[in-house]
Amino acid sequence: MSDRNFFLSEKASKARLREAERARQNRWDIIKAHSQGQVTRRDLIKMGVLTSAGLLVPISGLSPFARSAFADSNIPTGLPPSPLFGVQPFSAPMPRFDVLPRDPVSVLNPTPTAQANTTPQPVDPALGGGTGPIEGRPPGPIWAHQQFTQLPPVIAIQATMEGAKTNNVYNPGVPSLQNSGINPASPIPFKFHPGLPTQNVLKDWTYNGTIPPKLMLARYGEPVLFRLSNKLPVNQNDNGGFGIHTISTHEHNGHHGAENDGFTGAFFFPNQFYDYHYPVVLAGRNTINTTATDARASGPTDAGGLNKIPGDWHETMSTHWFHDHMFSFTAQNVYKGMAGMFNIYSGLDRGAEDIVDGVNLRLPSGRASVSGKSWGNLDYDVNLMLADKAWDANGQLAFDKFEFDGFLGDQMTVNLTFKPFMEVERRKYRFRILNGSVSRFFKIALSDGSPMIQIGNDGNLLPSPVVLTQLDEQGIAERYDIVIDFSRYSVGQKVWMVNLAEHADGKKVDKDLTISEALSGNSPDPCVGKFLEFRVARNPAQPDISQVPSTLIPNPDLSAIPVARERIFEFNRGAGQTTNDPVSSFFGPWGIETDNQGGTLAADFGRISAAPRFGTREVWTLKNGGGGWDHPIHIHFEECQTLARDGSAANVPAWERGRKDVWRLRPGGEVKITLQFRDFGGMFMEHCHNTMHEDNAMLLRWEIDDGGAPFLRPLPTPRPTPQGVTFVAPTDILPTAF
Amino acid sequence: MNTQVNIKTGRRRFTANVLTLLVGVVAVLVLGHASVQAQTTSTSTVDSSITIKTNGTVSDPSGAIKLSGNVTIKCRRVIDNTVATLPPLVLLDFDFSQLTGTTGTGKTLVTYVTGDNHVTAVRPFQASDTIVVTVPYFDSTKDVLSASSFLATATLNFDISTGTLTSGTLTYGTNVFKSSGVGTFTVN
Repeated sequence: MSDRNFFLSEKASKARLREAERARQNRWDIIKAHSQGQVTRRDLIKMGVLTSAGLLVPISGLSPFARSAFADSNIPTGLPPSPLFGVQPFSAPMPRFDVLPRDPVSVLNPTPTAQANTTPQPVDPALGGGTGPIEGRPPGPIWAHQQFTQLPPVIAIQATMEGAKTNNVYNPGVPSLQNSGINPASPIPFKFHPGLPTQNVLKDWTYNGTIPPKLMLARYGEPVLFRLSNKLPVNQNDNGGFGIHTISTHEHNGHHGAENDGFTGAFFFPNQFYDYHYPVVLAGRNTINTTATDARASGPTDAGGLNKIPGDWHETMSTHWFHDHMFSFTAQNVYKGMAGMFNIYSGLDRGAEDIVDGVNLRLPSGRASVSGKSWGNLDYDVNLMLADKAWDANGQLAFDKFEFDGFLGDQMTVNLTFKPFMEVERRKYRFRILNGSVSRFFKIALSDGSPMIQIGNDGNLLPSPVVLTQLDEQGIAERYDIVIDFSRYSVGQKVWMVNLAEHADGKKVDKDLTISEALSGNSPDPCVGKFLEFRVARNPAQPDISQVPSTLIPNPDLSAIPVARERIFEFNRGAGQTTNDPVSSFFGPWGIETDNQGGTLAADFGRISAAPRFGTREVWTLKNGGGGWDHPIHIHFEECQTLARDGSAANVPAWERGRKDVWRLRPGGEVKITLQFRDFGGMFMEHCHNTMHEDNAMLLRWEIDDGGAPFLRPLPTPRPTPQGVTFVAPTDILPTAF
Repeated sequence: MNTQVNIKTGRRRFTANVLTLLVGVVAVLVLGHASVQAQTTSTSTVDSSITIKTNGTVSDPSGAIKLSGNVTIKCRRVIDNTVATLPPLVLLDFDFSQLTGTTGTGKTLVTYVTGDNHVTAVRPFQASDTIVVTVPYFDSTKDVLSASSFLATATLNFDISTGTLTSGTLTYGTNVFKSSGVGTFTVN
């Protein structure tokens, strides 16, 4: 372990802690001024705070990596540790996610429309005044909901984006007994632990402004209309020092039109709403099983039966999440709390372990016969959102957006609660684990080295379950679905989830520790070690009849589909910028080179880097251009199969042999994948999901624009303002894009 | 927005310490820029692997399990070129899938497998490293839910000059974490 650690130990000298606090305050002043538009990045470069490559200058009193005046060697200043106010780990129960209400779409007012609703409304003077549309979705046919007539929304899910407040309407979706005794009727103040300070309304921005994080439930064959209303402050300066009030929600990783994808440039303003149409369909619906005769391609009915739908059942998905995707502000906004999870239920993955029909895999979830719910039982199907956080001396959420290598927190949270405990029964549980961090990778084991069964990777169940005693590293945005059987323990025993991945900075994992190393307490990384305590509280009221079948969901066979072309994307440091559009381009130290064209480019959502033909399949190679960092690369829209790692199919581990949408490239590594472009069109993204890398500026746009009207080739770029969205021509089209 | 006024307001908030430190920044800028450009071109990886013929015994409620089989360890040494003072890394992949175990003989013979188990780890590159991991195993006639775990201790030797994994040993033992990694609490 190097001495170049992101956070100082609590045992550091008072002088070094004071020095670090001063440095953080200095950065904080700069961050605040920059986030509020008082200084530009160019100003900061002129002032010497940033290098021309966008790096924080390593000067003492400013950078956490500058040499400390109070240390003998090259020890960095570090960040001061987050205060805990006497709070002990594992002293608060872990709240289950807060299930968003599902209503008939008829409750929506105004009624959702295929094209954006451009009814005018007055615009707040702080946003320029005048009038603007009530919906922030780009107007016109190109951004209309695709196949809206064929797939009309049935269910409405509504949410607001607003500042931290008390939750008075918590719905965990399970009885209190299955939620570690939490009484859902009790108001839940916005705290990371009952013993920590209440968060300021401007520091944390979440869906509905409350915790726990929100959970959407959907089922195949039942389209959802998600209406998100922006209730954030109209004044851009009212942001608590970081984050921005313009937002765009990505449903990660929905197979639907780009107008619902949370495109980074399709953001909207306070006092507007945006209607996202999630049709919840199987990929290939227009070419495979078009008559909907295969029972495996289905969603659950309320009566316990199957609603058969078109499409390829091999493309069934289960575990999604949704989060903000605002251009160059994703890290800040997601860190502020703009993240939730999205469980999708199907005939195969029913969420009802007692329904036996030859299709249902009967994974751990709960009994329909007990709950009366034929699908979506959450009793033994648990969403976990892992995220490292930091807070300032007052216990308020703190961020440092100039850590372009990646931002690390020093306190572990699960479901936005500091190191909680969870009561479990002596039976099998399914955990849908999301890495919701900004830059931190995890590597999870149980403290006793017991086996866990990995059943899913990202949105997809694996072809076969994989038994592991330590999971692979889990990059930002990756989801690992696992099953843990607590019947091996006695009532009264407790066991912990442990993080083995040790970071020194936000670029990558420095070292994967052994269990004993991680439990020793000797790691300088405060987020290594135990982070979630399972308390085996009782025997289950009914016998555990859930299953983990030896076959889950095999991959679709793509061998008969020709490869239309191959593309190469290399993720590098040291990007150049060939465009300077003030809205769509952003300059930072990170970038992407496409097809070996000799230039690593910083992000510009007005630039088209790839435009695969509608209805084709391609092979893409994702290369890490460096050895000093890792990148979790995310491709929107369609799940992909991993063909090779570092040039060999044999290097693809068993837990990556299903479908995926995020790949850790590993230092110096590369991944070859294949994906199709079908069913829908529009502009999508590919980017690093270390969101500090993404924001600075490792992101590109690709599009499907030849699927027929209303699409144009190329697509015009939306340019949102509070007074309405206009369109401009692409700033750039790479020579190999089409 | 009156940018000029706001810039002044923002600058006044900076402490004197920061402003003082900005003197002489030009040299830092040049160094930083050159460094960034260099980082795009100098990644170095070296791949190597060894296969170790292993055997050992671990205790299980059903009796002592005799383990045997080859374990292949792949190694990729990666030069970290972003900070010269950091040591290179190795990415390790332990393939335990060929390892099997047995208890009993004849009609009481039970065969255990480890499934498609790999253990991956990122470690600092050094001449020798000892890594202790747990490995799952289960009765080959049953499913993965019946799995338990044993301990594997790998001592690996690397050639510092070539960046390759040259040799290693693997020993097996009972999973000591089964007791030390579990606590108790008072049930309400």
